Amino acid sequence: MNHSRSWRARSLAAVGVSAALLVAACGGGGGASNQQGSSNQGSQAAFNAGSTSIVNPSDKKGGTLKFANEGDWDTLDTGETYYAYSWNFARLYGRSLMMFKSAPGKEGNQLVPDLAEGPGQASDNAKTWTYKLRQGVKFDDGTEVTSADVKYAVLRSTDKQTFPNGPAYWDALLDLPSGYKGPYKSPNANTDSAIETPDKYTVVFHMKKPFAAFDYLAQQPNTMPVPKDKDTGAKYRNSVVATGPYKFADVQPGKSFNLVRNDQWDPATDPNRKALPDRIEVSLNVNADDIDNRIISGDLDVAVTALGVQPAAQSRVLQDPTLKENADNPLGVRLWYTSINPTVPPLNNIECRKAVEYAMDRTSYQTAYGGQFAGGDLATTILPPSVPGYQAYDLYPNGQDHKGDLDAAKKSLEACGQPNGFQTNIAYRAERPKEKATAEAFQQALARVGIQLTLKPYPQGDYFAQYAGLPPYVVKNKLGLALNGWAADWPDGFGFLSQIVDSRVIRPTGGSSNTSVRIPEVDQMLDKALTELDTDKRNQDWAAIDKRVMEEAVIYPGVYSKSLLVRSKNATNIFVTDAYGEYDYLGLGAVK
Amino acid sequence: MTLPPEAGAEAEAAIPEAVLAGAGPTEGRSLGQIAWLRLKRDKVALAGGAFLIFLILVAIFAPLIVKYLGYPPNEFHQELIDTAGGTLTPIGRFGGMSWDHLMGVEPVNGRDIFSRIVYGSRISLLIAFLATLLSVLIGTTLGIVSGFIGGWTDTFTSRLMDVFLAFPLLVLAIALAGVFPDQAFGLQGNQLRIVMLIFIIGFFNWPYIGRIIRGQTLSLREREFVESAKSIGARRGYILRTEMLPNLVAPILVYSTLLIPTNILFEAALSFLGVGVRPPTPSWGGMLSDAVVYYTQPHFMFWPGMAIFVTVLAFNLFGDGLRDALDPRANR
Amino acid sequence: MFAYIVRRLLWSVVLLFVLSVVVFSIFYLIPRLGGATPETLAARYVGRAATPETVHLTAERLGLLDPVPVQYWHWLRGVFVGAEYDYGSGSEHCPAPCLGYSFITKQPVWPELLDRAPVTISLVVGASLIWLIAGLTVGVISALRRGTVFDRGAMGVALAGVSLPIFFTGLIALAFFSYKLRITAPGGTFVPFSESPWRWAYSLLLPWITLAFLFAAQYARLTRAGMLETMTEDYIRTARAKGLPERTVILKHGLRGALTPVLTIFGLDVGLLLGGAVLTEKTFSLNGLGKYAYDGIVNNDLPKILGVTLLAGFFVIISNLIVDLLYGVIDPRVRLE
Repeated sequence: MNHSRSWRARSLAAVGVSAALLVAACGGGGGASNQQGSSNQGSQAAFNAGSTSIVNPSDKKGGTLKFANEGDWDTLDTGETYYAYSWNFARLYGRSLMMFKSAPGKEGNQLVPDLAEGPGQASDNAKTWTYKLRQGVKFDDGTEVTSADVKYAVLRSTDKQTFPNGPAYWDALLDLPSGYKGPYKSPNANTDSAIETPDKYTVVFHMKKPFAAFDYLAQQPNTMPVPKDKDTGAKYRNSVVATGPYKFADVQPGKSFNLVRNDQWDPATDPNRKALPDRIEVSLNVNADDIDNRIISGDLDVAVTALGVQPAAQSRVLQDPTLKENADNPLGVRLWYTSINPTVPPLNNIECRKAVEYAMDRTSYQTAYGGQFAGGDLATTILPPSVPGYQAYDLYPNGQDHKGDLDAAKKSLEACGQPNGFQTNIAYRAERPKEKATAEAFQQALARVGIQLTLKPYPQGDYFAQYAGLPPYVVKNKLGLALNGWAADWPDGFGFLSQIVDSRVIRPTGGSSNTSVRIPEVDQMLDKALTELDTDKRNQDWAAIDKRVMEEAVIYPGVYSKSLLVRSKNATNIFVTDAYGEYDYLGLGAVK
Repeated sequence: MTLPPEAGAEAEAAIPEAVLAGAGPTEGRSLGQIAWLRLKRDKVALAGGAFLIFLILVAIFAPLIVKYLGYPPNEFHQELIDTAGGTLTPIGRFGGMSWDHLMGVEPVNGRDIFSRIVYGSRISLLIAFLATLLSVLIGTTLGIVSGFIGGWTDTFTSRLMDVFLAFPLLVLAIALAGVFPDQAFGLQGNQLRIVMLIFIIGFFNWPYIGRIIRGQTLSLREREFVESAKSIGARRGYILRTEMLPNLVAPILVYSTLLIPTNILFEAALSFLGVGVRPPTPSWGGMLSDAVVYYTQPHFMFWPGMAIFVTVLAFNLFGDGLRDALDPRANR
Repeated sequence: MFAYIVRRLLWSVVLLFVLSVVVFSIFYLIPRLGGATPETLAARYVGRAATPETVHLTAERLGLLDPVPVQYWHWLRGVFVGAEYDYGSGSEHCPAPCLGYSFITKQPVWPELLDRAPVTISLVVGASLIWLIAGLTVGVISALRRGTVFDRGAMGVALAGVSLPIFFTGLIALAFFSYKLRITAPGGTFVPFSESPWRWAYSLLLPWITLAFLFAAQYARLTRAGMLETMTEDYIRTARAKGLPERTVILKHGLRGALTPVLTIFGLDVGLLLGGAVLTEKTFSLNGLGKYAYDGIVNNDLPKILGVTLLAGFFVIISNLIVDLLYGVIDPRVRLE
């Protein structure tokens, strides 16, 4: 009324500014990123181009690539490392007998010889495998790599007291002398029954049982040679000797490490690697949201764990067309699923299990894991599409909208004698918000047909050892459903299925990821597939096993995992390799 | 005899005011009545107190409120989430606020934030009140005993308080909450968790009250009225009951009221770090923790954060007012 | 005086013992309530391909198969005389104080603690100076100008400050100042003082202010209350009557009397923060002791937790000791019994 005009103007301005700030906050900073987007030189490729083609191809050598890990590296010691990103990265500093080809898409799934001259030669009904090593491969201190070094590397990885975290395939499959405790504790044991080195460039492996897919075992980083005189056991992780195009410089455990060019690496012995950047810097324990922001702004090149951007950046990337163009959505080699435990009544009746399969709303599973981009694709089989042997089928169709077929579910409930539903518990790992969201989704969806679930979170460190993976515990605590997930150690039927559908991996003392599959017929099918030397026939065997397990309704497939990755502005040759479902770290080059 | 001598001039000044205010014929006023009069004049403290009563009512009648004003706290509403675009955030401005969903919905699952805040008040208040009660019981008992009896008992209790105060409390609370088994002592699940939280928060906080009560007891012990009671042969128990305890009511009340907000923040911190009550039970700290990943859209953080803030503020205001009203020496 | 210090130091050592026993108990005895065995405990530290033999070997390597008192004795001995660490192909000597090797990363704990301590110390020292100065100043001015707009406003803000959870203010501040306006450093960018004092201060600016805001509020209220009490004392009137300048009256006579409770709380707060600014460090991704403790706890890495808890306890005890000694300086009425 009597307010001076300037007062009103000022107050309106103040209101306006605050409103603008609030709106900007809600909009997720669209304005700022638009400016960044337009100044983006180079890659004008479309969304998800990296999954099937090479974005920003270049052969230019030089420059520095910056990687960051939101946690600590599991270990740089190739004898113990067990994460896909680490295996992907290890090819930069180590050479294994075989390796996955550095090529985009499905081509990345092919095995090519790295340290070896050619693929392994099978004999004795696929129980013996022979590899011939290339000559002239050197460690970064100049000494030549011989077969003894490969043998030593494999043997030391079997020492589970010093290296408890690594894969255990050699322990289980090699014909080692009984009571062998590894080269530190049993230095004088005669291990020729397991691995022989008839000459400097030949390695012969003897297995306990036939194993047709041996080349996959040979690509594990634990076949990367380790010089015995430089081996320091559990401390070796801080001073790894390199055989690849790069070697370590400046390792600060828990903080960072750098890779610089290995002058002892001879490109003539290595047709598989281009080794474009001069230097690779890796920072550890960086805040995850920070990593996303820095990649988008160009300060950082690669989020090495490739788990996908955090939800905040996810919103930003998906809503901004310029950012979205610069992102990829690779399919991983991982299935998120839920075990339906037949040891817990009334799920011992197959019809009750089928009711669960029909009633669950698969789209809410997908949303819980992050939606169609960051979560994954709706799954109806156990093998994901990226694994050779995958065949699409859907035994329990859940409606056009995939939200569940409640009529079919109710019919199954009647068939199993629980027309009004039943009560059981669902277990999940407390520290994983996506699993928590999925468990809640199950609770809501199954309640529609009268199946009442109680949520039971458990610490992820003990989840399989003590709770969901301990059969007596499962029965006693009525854990009818248990959230689960499996990423194959390598994309092949054995790597994917053996640990989750073989009943013989279930131990009464706990620890196995397989909590629900106990089908003797499947065990036999698995054994038979391992003797099949023809790759295509073998892949069909895997598909048959997949279907047979699903017929028992002991697994509810959720989503084939996908992640949302943002391309670096500084990197060239950006492409996704199907072997790991991540960017191929071996192929990347740097602009500067 | 329950009027501490140091009430002195203030108390006497209060009485004529009451008379002037038309309170009737002159009569002695107990400390409680004086305090109440003072409190009534403190508008800010009254506002705090009123809000607290409102909050307690909300917590008690939560199911009723939610039935009419919101949706069940654990119910998903995924149709309100942007699944098509893949961002999984609520469709619409300000986190999906609408007449149906007064405070919007959560991302990913679309749960109604309003009802989750209302139910969350139950957890915060329940744990904070009971934990404070535990602290006060232990602290008062040990404080009075050690202050009154003195000697070795006092030294031992003081050393004990030192030990507790030296603990890196948050670290130990997280550790304890982390290793606690899923069922023990006949309870399980969330019930056990709540009991455990009450125990951890209440048990480790007792020195706060203990120290204050001990100090008060020590100074009260030297007062003339206690001496005179002793000189006429009153036994310890009698002295404790009739002389000391009534005078300790004031500090106990005040510091309890001030301890509650600390405990609310503590419980929120534990939930934020992931060791509070188990999902899907809503708790303010847990909601804040879930909202952190969406930090570029602060609305999700806003509601639980404001809930904690306003509650703690109300307790602080009321507690301050109570202290000012009960402590005759305090000048406002 | 000397005897007092010696007695306090001895008592401090006892306290540290008690702390370590408590942590051991939490980790080994509480899980037994839920029926855990050494094997199940060891299962947390092995990878996903572990067989029962591997678990057993790990339990053996970590010493989990020994009875709890024996494990404690080994650890205690390591603290005083060092220990031998078997890394497979050999063993190395871990010099005293050997607080063990992390169960997960197999790195010695003590050097890691030393590495992270400067971050926490930087955070706490900086913030505490800010909040002390700010809190005292605001408190004094508020007390002197009681009832004015400044007083009410300042106390209102102070009340807000003590009512907000640090992780909330921290996150909002981070989102707004660091990511939106880009005027302060983003999370997780600590620069050591030795590298560059300016960037060190810049990287800690937001955490300092956020943390200080919380405490300054408390201290302002406390100082104001204390000042209000002392300024009505007789000796203030005497000082004024003597003709002393007002500033001397306020600061030398008034404030000094009000300082005692402030000092007590200050010592306690700094000590506690040094040992566990878990919330602040987690919010701002600072690699300090608090975050180290939190990471240790979520991974059930006992040596880390033991190490941090003891260091934290040590800080609390030392700061309390310093505060008690300073009492004698500030308030001559206090006699150290």
